[in-house]
Amino acid sequence: MAYDIPNNYKNETPSQQLDKKTLNKMVMRSFNLQASFNYERMQAGGWLYSILPGLEKIHTDKDDLSASMSHNLEFFNTHPFLVTFVMGIVLSLEQNKVNIPTIRAVRVAAMGPLGGIGDALFWFTLVPITAGITSQMALDGSIMGPILFLLIFNLAQFAIRFWLMYWSYDLGTSAIDVLTENAAEFTRAASILGVFVVGALTVTFGATNIAGLQIPNGVTEAALPITETVAPENVSTYEDIIYEDPATEEFNPGQEEAVITELPSGNYEVTYFEVVEEDVFIDVQEILDGILPKLIPLAITMLLYYLMAFKGWTPINAILLLLILGLVGAGPFGLWPNIWG
Amino acid sequence: MDQYNILQIVLVFVVTFIAAIDQFSLLESLYQPIVTGPVIGLILGDVQTGLVVGGTYQLMTIGNMPVGGAQPPNAVMGGIMATVLAISLGLSPSEAVGAAIPFAILGQYGITLLFTAMSPIMSKADTYAQEANPKGIDRINYTAMIILGSIFGVIVTLFFIGGASFGEQLLAIIPAWVMNGLDAAGGMMRFVGFAILLRVMISRELWSFYFLGFALAIIIEATGSLGSSAILILAIIGFGFAFWDYQIQTRVRLSSGNISDGGGEEDGI
Repeated sequence: MAYDIPNNYKNETPSQQLDKKTLNKMVMRSFNLQASFNYERMQAGGWLYSILPGLEKIHTDKDDLSASMSHNLEFFNTHPFLVTFVMGIVLSLEQNKVNIPTIRAVRVAAMGPLGGIGDALFWFTLVPITAGITSQMALDGSIMGPILFLLIFNLAQFAIRFWLMYWSYDLGTSAIDVLTENAAEFTRAASILGVFVVGALTVTFGATNIAGLQIPNGVTEAALPITETVAPENVSTYEDIIYEDPATEEFNPGQEEAVITELPSGNYEVTYFEVVEEDVFIDVQEILDGILPKLIPLAITMLLYYLMAFKGWTPINAILLLLILGLVGAGPFGLWPNIWG
Repeated sequence: MDQYNILQIVLVFVVTFIAAIDQFSLLESLYQPIVTGPVIGLILGDVQTGLVVGGTYQLMTIGNMPVGGAQPPNAVMGGIMATVLAISLGLSPSEAVGAAIPFAILGQYGITLLFTAMSPIMSKADTYAQEANPKGIDRINYTAMIILGSIFGVIVTLFFIGGASFGEQLLAIIPAWVMNGLDAAGGMMRFVGFAILLRVMISRELWSFYFLGFALAIIIEATGSLGSSAILILAIIGFGFAFWDYQIQTRVRLSSGNISDGGGEEDGI
């Protein structure tokens, strides 16, 4: 975000196909996709690191390399094991010097859905099955447990990373002719998908809520049922509480559901009601959810967009604002209760 | 813990250093308790206990994976400390796993803190990118890995030397509101990333698609039963809109191209 990234590369002649060595090097680098993970741009730093060998080969012009590196440092987050799929496509676009808005839109559109696929594939299927079986072996004291776990997991991981890289690089390269012919329409379509995905991510990644904010709103009277076991000689005390007149068994107000039962032991079980005062709270998050769920993530995103697009804010300003907002909301020095849920 | 020598302390540091980095980078599997358990066991002279504790902890984490980017209690800190506690204090595997939970939560806090603290470093990366300086980008990534490994290594080594009560004491020093505030701020940082993306991608006519994605995601999330397939379903819907738009736009261009060629409407009929 340091400077205005141009829309087109200066040198628009497609560069040579990337050789196997470079592609393999990038697959190996992709293992460190999350090296500089942070909450602002997530995997952006590692993403740029992973595709750098390719970018350096593709962009021989220094200004072009600068533009390419800058736009590849924007927010990025996908499933770490499937990232080479995005890498292959983006690299084929970079190699053909497609305009930057298109590359950006394709990158964003491709990274989102992979998260769900990767979770389903790895965290819900491969890991539970292998870890489940091999943990049992470890519990039985077999050293084969951890060894098998590492073997199976990494065979799958290496196979998927390499295969996806080559497959998607070829896919991107062969689709390039169609893309360049209808470039404007394609960019628009990819941007639509990208913007749509960001809208969806605002919901699925937007966990921020203020469920902790409970505004006291007076008290209410509630009837609290109390059950006790009492000896026969004490029953009359409770009858006084329950009945206006024990002889007619006419209930006192609020005691209509009270019960006295004789137990086999000769004692009595008495259930009567005691009126207690309960605090009442207004749950602000519940009201907000009634208007529109995820209103807070939407509002924060819109506010930050506004500040950055129209007020010249840098991402750092935005981060500081959120840091202060987070700490103030948490009730510094116990001045007020934590509003975050 | 006086019963351990300096070599063992150094080895515990090294294993933690590697495992901490591995939880996000490298092979993303060396850090699993099923692996760190026996390795720490080997260092402390009891592989068997390490295997059983590692297996016990692993079974607990199966339902506790970093799904959808959420941070579960930290398996590196938890797995290693469980093994250390089991061997040095002679706890049973499940006791050790339970006793390690505070450490796992501490590790989770540490990660939240680190990911928040790392955010401003991105502006340094921006500078390197603008200067077209690949070495600088490499350095940022390597440095971040070393920082992560060192922090975890130092903390676990301190616990290892200082014993179990140290963890509880450290947790007690940090005020709850600071932790809560950082937690909330960390959860909000992603909105900065979204805002940046919107700033560069969106034009006036595309806003409707942002809100379409937002609204459909709420509906799909509300169904609840879809789990991790929700995003894929949303992407299919988004792809539908995008592809439809692509077909319409290319046809509009082709037909308007015909008109300007002088073909006229008569030809089209």
